[in-house]
Amino acid sequence: MTSFTVSSSRTATRVAGTLLLAMLLLALLAIPWLTGFSTQRLLVEAMTMFVIALAWNLLAGFGGLIAIGQHAFIGVGAYSLFFLSNSLDCAPWLLLPLATLSALAFALLSAWPMFRLSGPYFAVGTWVLAEMLRIAAQNTDVLGAGSGLSLDAMNNIDRWTRNAGSYWAALALCISAVVVARMTLRGRIGLALMSVRDSEVAATACGVSVRKAKLWIWLIAAAMTGTAGALAYINTLQVTPDASFSLNWTAAAIFIAVLGGIGTLEGPFLGTLLYFFLRESFSAYGAWYFIGLGSLAIFAMLFSPGGAWAPIKRRWDWDPLGLRRLMPTDATPTLSLKTGEAPPNMARPPQRTQ
Amino acid sequence: MIVWIETFINGITLGALYGLFGLGLSLSLGVMRMINIAHGDLIVLGAYLASIVMAALHCGPFTSLLIVLPVMFCIGWLLQRCLLNFVVGLDPLAPLLLTFGLSIVLQNLLQEIFTADTRSLPSGDISLAGLQLGGVSLGLLPVLTTVISVLVFAAVSLLLSRTSVGRQARAVADDLSTARLVGIDGHRFFALVTGFIMVAVSLASVLYGIRAPFSPTSGPERLLYSFEAVVLGGLGNVWGTLLGGMAIGIAQLMGAKVNASLGPFFGHLVFLVALIVRPQGLFSRAKS
Amino acid sequence: MLRVNGLSAYYGLFQALFGIDLYVRPGETVALIGANGAGKSSLLRAVVGSIRCGRSQLHLDGKAIGGESECAQLARGIALVPEGRKLFPSLSVLENLQVAARNGRAGVWTVERVLRELPVLDQLKHRPATSLSGGQQQLVALSRALVTNPAYLLFDEVSLGLSPLAVNDVYALIRQIKNEGISILLVEQNLHRALAESDRYYCIQKGRISLAGISSEADQDQVTHAYFGVTDDRMD
Repeated sequence: MTSFTVSSSRTATRVAGTLLLAMLLLALLAIPWLTGFSTQRLLVEAMTMFVIALAWNLLAGFGGLIAIGQHAFIGVGAYSLFFLSNSLDCAPWLLLPLATLSALAFALLSAWPMFRLSGPYFAVGTWVLAEMLRIAAQNTDVLGAGSGLSLDAMNNIDRWTRNAGSYWAALALCISAVVVARMTLRGRIGLALMSVRDSEVAATACGVSVRKAKLWIWLIAAAMTGTAGALAYINTLQVTPDASFSLNWTAAAIFIAVLGGIGTLEGPFLGTLLYFFLRESFSAYGAWYFIGLGSLAIFAMLFSPGGAWAPIKRRWDWDPLGLRRLMPTDATPTLSLKTGEAPPNMARPPQRTQ
Repeated sequence: MIVWIETFINGITLGALYGLFGLGLSLSLGVMRMINIAHGDLIVLGAYLASIVMAALHCGPFTSLLIVLPVMFCIGWLLQRCLLNFVVGLDPLAPLLLTFGLSIVLQNLLQEIFTADTRSLPSGDISLAGLQLGGVSLGLLPVLTTVISVLVFAAVSLLLSRTSVGRQARAVADDLSTARLVGIDGHRFFALVTGFIMVAVSLASVLYGIRAPFSPTSGPERLLYSFEAVVLGGLGNVWGTLLGGMAIGIAQLMGAKVNASLGPFFGHLVFLVALIVRPQGLFSRAKS
Repeated sequence: MLRVNGLSAYYGLFQALFGIDLYVRPGETVALIGANGAGKSSLLRAVVGSIRCGRSQLHLDGKAIGGESECAQLARGIALVPEGRKLFPSLSVLENLQVAARNGRAGVWTVERVLRELPVLDQLKHRPATSLSGGQQQLVALSRALVTNPAYLLFDEVSLGLSPLAVNDVYALIRQIKNEGISILLVEQNLHRALAESDRYYCIQKGRISLAGISSEADQDQVTHAYFGVTDDRMD
């Protein structure tokens, strides 16, 4: 029996990819000197939205945890940042890690009741949680009650620094989110989650701790969402209960994930581009814009559950983030495959049978 | 003291309405293993439908049901046949997201047609009438709501345990693939169930519309209360949904007495605590 | 006659059956023999409509009926007793039978007749179906398929998990059904039993028919080899 190794990428792809990334990074860092404030604010919005959608996608597509109440973490992150920043009179970007920690703490606490639910029950249960937070924030005077908090600590910082600071922070968050997501999915947790996705029974029988894997992904997603929420509100300088605990955040994340492709890492990126394109083009139509978005989600679920990424993947077989595991050809099982057929892609989204 | 008893009883009557909201969700979850995120919006749709019928025919809310009930049945039947049947039985993601999209579409459509203003169903003298029971004053409408709700639950319970359709529903809820082996056409049956759910929903819509003002965005809150009623009552337990609804209703009104703006919050809190303490539901016979 | 022509079936990307050919004549009892995972259940499920197959891969009395739903096949008189009995836990014994009778075809086998012929079930008819013993449940499962008045009864794993006495009871009922002219295609792990109770047999191995013949003339060694897939030189 020959031994074989399982590799995750080819050398050529790796070198080309690294060069491309380096060039892109330099361009992105230079943005505050190259564009105006409104463009930067739009980019911050897009990047924070991307991270939130990425987090939702990690939860739903890989963790099997559909969290309609994900916006709970946005409010938690934003409020904790604003509160701490105003209390400590400190530049808000320095306190971002604390916002992340609050989101993590809340995630740990909420896992206790929430993980007693599963599937659609979990989905709506998280929504209940978010609603509770919204009402609580609305009635807590120290958090500004109905009118919320404004970011006083920013008053002494000039506009260019404010915008550039938010932009760079968002860029850093964006990159670290992708890195963390990729590391998680390529690591033991990712493998555990994908095995659970394929067959929870088999995974448990193999000794995979399903609960631990799901908890980890819950914590990671919470951290991402909380930080993104905090940043998004640094960008707007004011946080209110109705806005920060609004379902609209999760709705947008869901649309992005659905449009781009759930269960993939490339999906949220594509989805964010599509979402913002649609928004900039059609939001003037008011209610009809939302009707269109909702219908798009319905059509996607009926006809293309893999989102926009699925046909691209089928056509060009890209794997830019190296999530697939390539089996060396001499280890390909010959028993139940027709000759000439490729081995199953282990990172594909769940198959529909019947 | 009287005030607290009245609040408690009002909580029960409000909860009876919540139970009725939750009945549809309970059936949907039991038979089709699916949550319809647009459930609350469908309740609001029913209320708007009743509003149109009442304005067009100059009739009362209960008379409007003669038209609203069959229309809602057809809507449910078509919804299942044309949309939901395609995603039923697959992973929970597809039906959740499809109905999520549906919820958004419904809310915005209603907003386009009816504007964002709130309205309610005029009910004339009924809403003002009251009775006195041993020193406690109760509104006639809440008592009527409770009676109707209990009757509907009794009807459903009987339907499930005594009739052929009920047997089929229980068989499907147990094991869809084996049910298909004994000749139950899953998709046609689901359409029937959803149609029936919408009939129950329209009853709830009218009772709700008389009682409180509604607007296109009132749906999600109704969904949350329905959901809490179902989970508290214990999954698969029909009567449990009614009791669960009452628990939420009582929690909300008692909470509102403590702090006027925290009513729903206390409902959510009770739900959360019950989830931690007894996750299988307060009234479920099943072990955890 | 029920005829399977070159039937291939898949679970997603995995192919379970590779061009199966078999037939069941009216009034015959045919046994399907094979190890676990060979494809016996998949074959039965394809015939009854739970798994999709090509239209021309299944014929009933000359008409192509492959790929249709379970309801359609049931209306044509093809019924399956599933592996593991799969009774409805929320329903009583009587209700399990009633549900099937309502949707099946009309005929001589009614719920009343079943309860008359099987007094042991009549006594238990109001009990929750899954509270019965394994053998009794198997009788209920068989009866449940019977009250749909099939022309072709498919039976997946007759004796699996049952005590010898219970197996005898089940086969007694099967023989009675056989005498009334219903054709039976049964899956049976017990080689001796399978050959004793059937007219013809097929061996299935890794999704392919490896051997077929008349049960009374079956060569034990040949069948064993076809069942396990071992060839002579490997056995040394």
